Amino acid sequence: MTNTIDTSIYAAVTEAIQGEVRRILSEGSVSAVVGYAAARRKGSAQPIVITDAARAEELVFSAACVNNLAVYLTKAKKEIPKTGKIGIVVKGCDLKALVGLMGESQLKREDLYLIGVPCAGVLASTAQPSQELTGDTIAPKCRECDARLPAGCDFVPDQRPVSIELAGKYSAEIARLEAMTPAERWAYWKEQFKKCIKCYACRQVCPFCFCEQCLCDRNKPQMVETTPRPAGNTAWHIVRAMHLAGRCAGCAECERVCPMDIPLNLLNRKMAKELKELYDYEAGFEVREKGPLAMYDEKDDQSFIK
Amino acid sequence: MQTYLSENNLKTLLDRLIAGGKRVIAPRLDAGTPLYGPLADAAGVVLDQLPRRSAKEAFFPVCEDIMSYDKEGQQVTLTDVNPASFPETVLVGVRPCDAAAIPVLDAVFSWDYKDEFFLERRKKTTIIGLACTQADDACFCTAVGLSPADPKGSDLFLTPVEGGGYACETFTEKGETLVNGNRELFAEPNGAPALPPAEPQTEKFDLKKVKAWLDDHFEDPAWDGIAVRCVGCGACAFLCPACHCFDIVDEGTEKAGKRRKSWDACGFWKFTHHASGHNPRDLQPKRYRNRIMHKFKYYDDKFGQTLCTGCGRCIRFCPVGIDIAAIVSEISKK
Repeated sequence: MTNTIDTSIYAAVTEAIQGEVRRILSEGSVSAVVGYAAARRKGSAQPIVITDAARAEELVFSAACVNNLAVYLTKAKKEIPKTGKIGIVVKGCDLKALVGLMGESQLKREDLYLIGVPCAGVLASTAQPSQELTGDTIAPKCRECDARLPAGCDFVPDQRPVSIELAGKYSAEIARLEAMTPAERWAYWKEQFKKCIKCYACRQVCPFCFCEQCLCDRNKPQMVETTPRPAGNTAWHIVRAMHLAGRCAGCAECERVCPMDIPLNLLNRKMAKELKELYDYEAGFEVREKGPLAMYDEKDDQSFIK
Repeated sequence: MQTYLSENNLKTLLDRLIAGGKRVIAPRLDAGTPLYGPLADAAGVVLDQLPRRSAKEAFFPVCEDIMSYDKEGQQVTLTDVNPASFPETVLVGVRPCDAAAIPVLDAVFSWDYKDEFFLERRKKTTIIGLACTQADDACFCTAVGLSPADPKGSDLFLTPVEGGGYACETFTEKGETLVNGNRELFAEPNGAPALPPAEPQTEKFDLKKVKAWLDDHFEDPAWDGIAVRCVGCGACAFLCPACHCFDIVDEGTEKAGKRRKSWDACGFWKFTHHASGHNPRDLQPKRYRNRIMHKFKYYDDKFGQTLCTGCGRCIRFCPVGIDIAAIVSEISKK
C-alpha cells in the first residue's frame, strides 16, 4: 500500500522508554510515571500510572497511543500522586498542552520529567486499534502536525526527525466554512451541536478544562441549560471554544473522544487561526507567562471597537 | 410462528407501517453517524452497523419534557405531558445486546414507582430484533450469557439466511399481530440455512464469582488500580443500553418553561454532590466502583439480573480505553 506510514521507529521508542522509566523509578528521581500500556483489544493501548520500576516493561508506544496524558497532571485528576517529580510520556502535541499548563501556573517544569516521543502519528478514532497507520487511518490532527519531535524534554528516545507529507484536513475544512455565508455556517454548527448528548467527554479529556467547578455544571443559578437540547448544547460548545481560545494547544482530544462525531477541533483550530492573525500567537514549546487574551498591549488590534 | 421475510418485503413492511401512521424507529445515518431514529421511508434504514447509541432511547429519550409551566400575573398554570399522546411505534433492526437490555430496564422503571413515560412507550412499541453476523473484539454478549442470536426482548426476531432475506420468528403477541396484519409479506420458511452467527471472542464471565467478590470487596485497593485512568465523563453510561440514570431540571424563565428529564451518569462528579457540599463519592475510583457494583451486584441483588448485555460500546468509545470486559474478567479471577 502506497500510503502506509512508517512506524518502525516505535519499537525502539518502546524499548528506550522502558529502560529510562526503569532507571528513573529505581533511582527514585521520580515518584510515578504516566505512560501507555497495551490493553486487551488487539493492538490497543491505554493510559497507565506506574510507581514500581518492575512494571516498566508494561510501557509501550505505538500508533494506538492516542491519549494526551497531560490531562492526568491537571488538578482535575486527584487520583494521580502529586508528590515528588512525575514522569510523563509526551508526544509533541501533548507537550504543547503541558507547556500551556505551565504558563497558566498549573504545573512547574521542575516537578516533571518529560519523556518526549518522536511521533509519526497515531490512529484516528474511526480506526480499529489493530489497524496499520496509513494516510486513511491516521488521526486528522497528525496530518498537519508541526511537532513531531518534542523540544525541551529531559529524555527523547530517538532524535531522528520524522516527516510525513499529508494534505491538511482542518485547513481545508476551515477554508470551506469560511467560504460560507454566516447563515450557512450557523446552520452547519447548529446541525453539529444538535447531536451533542452532554456526556462531557470533550471537557473531561481536555487538559485545559481544569476548573474545579465548570460554569456549565452550575445550577444556583443555572448559567447555561444543562439538558442536551439545541440551546444549551450550542451555549456549551461556544462557551468552551471561547474559553479555549489562545489556550488550546491542538491535541484534538475533544474531537477524538466525541461519541457523536462533532468536529470540535475545527472550532478550536479556527480560534487558533484568529489568534495567529490578530496577535501572531501560536501554542508551542515555549512557556509564556500570559496568553494573548490574558494581557493587553497598545499594539493590539483595536479595529473591533466601533 | 416461523416465516421467511425477503429484504424487499421488509422494506415494503416498513413503508407500509410509516404510511399507516406508525412511527418506525430504525438504525440510519444521522450526519454520517449511525443512530436509531424515526425513518421517513424504508430506503434510509442501515442494518449493517451497530448504532452508536443504544435502542433504549426509543423508550427513555436523551431528553424529554415532562411538564410545562406558564405564569400570568399571579396565576401559574402547570401542564403535564400526556403519555397517551405517545405514538404507536415499531422499533426495527435491534441487535440482541440492545433488545436484551429492554426487559432489564422494565424491571427498574416499573418497580416501586411506575415511570409512565417509559412504560407507555414500551407498551406501544413492537420490537423487531436482528441477529448479528459480525462482531469485533469489543463485543462480549456471550461473556454475560447472551448470544448474537438471542431473541430476548424481541417481539419478532430476524435471522439473516443464505441467499438473502431473513428467517423470522415471533415470540410475543405483539410480534404475531404484526405478522398477521401483513401476512402476504411473510412467506413460508424456505429452508435456507441461517448465516453463521457472530462469534465474540471474549471468554465467558463467571457472573456468580464476580458477584461474590463484589459482595465482599466494597473497600479494596484494586479499585484504585481499576479506575485510575477514568476521567469521569458520561460517555460509557450514555452509550450503554442498560444504564438508566436521569436528572430532572426546570429550564426556562420566570414566565414560562419546562420541566425536563435527561440522561445522567454516575461517573460525573456532580452526580452525588450533596447540597451541603459533601460528596460521598468524592474521587473517581469510588464512582467507577459504583458503575461496576451497579451492573454486576446491586442490580442482581434487587432484580436478579445483570445490568450489562455486552454490546461493547463503552469499550469502543471510552476516551481513555477502559475495558469493562477486561476488568470483569480480572475480577472473576480474584
